[in-house]
Amino acid sequence: FRFKDSLAEELQSADLVISHAGAGSCLETLEKGKPLIVVINDRLMDNHQLELAKQLHRDGYVLYCNCSTLVETLQSMDLSALKPFPPGQPEKFASFLDKAFGLQ
Amino acid sequence: TGGHTTEILRLLSCLSESYSPRHYVLADSDKMSEAKIRSFEQKRAEKFSKSQFSLDRIPRSREVRQSWISSVVTTLYSILYSLPLTYKRKPDLILCNGPGTCVPVCLSAFLLGLLRIKRTIIVYVESICRVETLSLSGKILYYFSDYFIVQWPDLKKKYPRSVYLGRIV
Repeated sequence: FRFKDSLAEELQSADLVISHAGAGSCLETLEKGKPLIVVINDRLMDNHQLELAKQLHRDGYVLYCNCSTLVETLQSMDLSALKPFPPGQPEKFASFLDKAFGLQ
Repeated sequence: TGGHTTEILRLLSCLSESYSPRHYVLADSDKMSEAKIRSFEQKRAEKFSKSQFSLDRIPRSREVRQSWISSVVTTLYSILYSLPLTYKRKPDLILCNGPGTCVPVCLSAFLLGLLRIKRTIIVYVESICRVETLSLSGKILYYFSDYFIVQWPDLKKKYPRSVYLGRIV
């Protein structure tokens, strides 16, 4: 299971996702509109994964906790308070590059 | 690697076929990215018949949390290794988003530019994971890239030379 190419199927049928703070996991989950609890690995020093999880939490898109507070989070969570996650806009990047290369 | 590959493929998703052929450079230790790339390119070939791409591998320049001194040595080795590859491909554009692999490739291209062999535009897009601080690759390539793109406003404030387009992946 660890090396499955894609978790898209599992994600689609899930009601709640509990995940580490990897960007791919977070974004894939949020884009499928699934409620997400992000668990931070607090034994990893210089944990830059925290930055994204914190920001997503600040913006109201995810719940977050660490391994020791997971159970408590699950017991007290209010998933309806989570906001829908707007998709990223790679077209803005394409547009920017086109302008930079004079391709517009 | 992993998340970086997913992000970069998203960045590529809206590019026109002017950005072709695409040469992907992977770390030799990366097992999973190749499948994602091939899948992306296959879908792309269904839309654009003349679509072309290639895959090259280079030695991984640095392991996570490798010591500073040994990182300099392994990165230098990777730059030397990348030079013939960059020289061969002579890219007009290098697009990268942060894995250690990209530093030697960009620096080798930068070097070829200094030597007037080929002027490559280097575009660096910092990962969406980076909200408040830059990755090590970002900190280095901030000074070597033509366009340095960040995805969160805090970084734009801290790195004024950067470009902020909002979330683009």
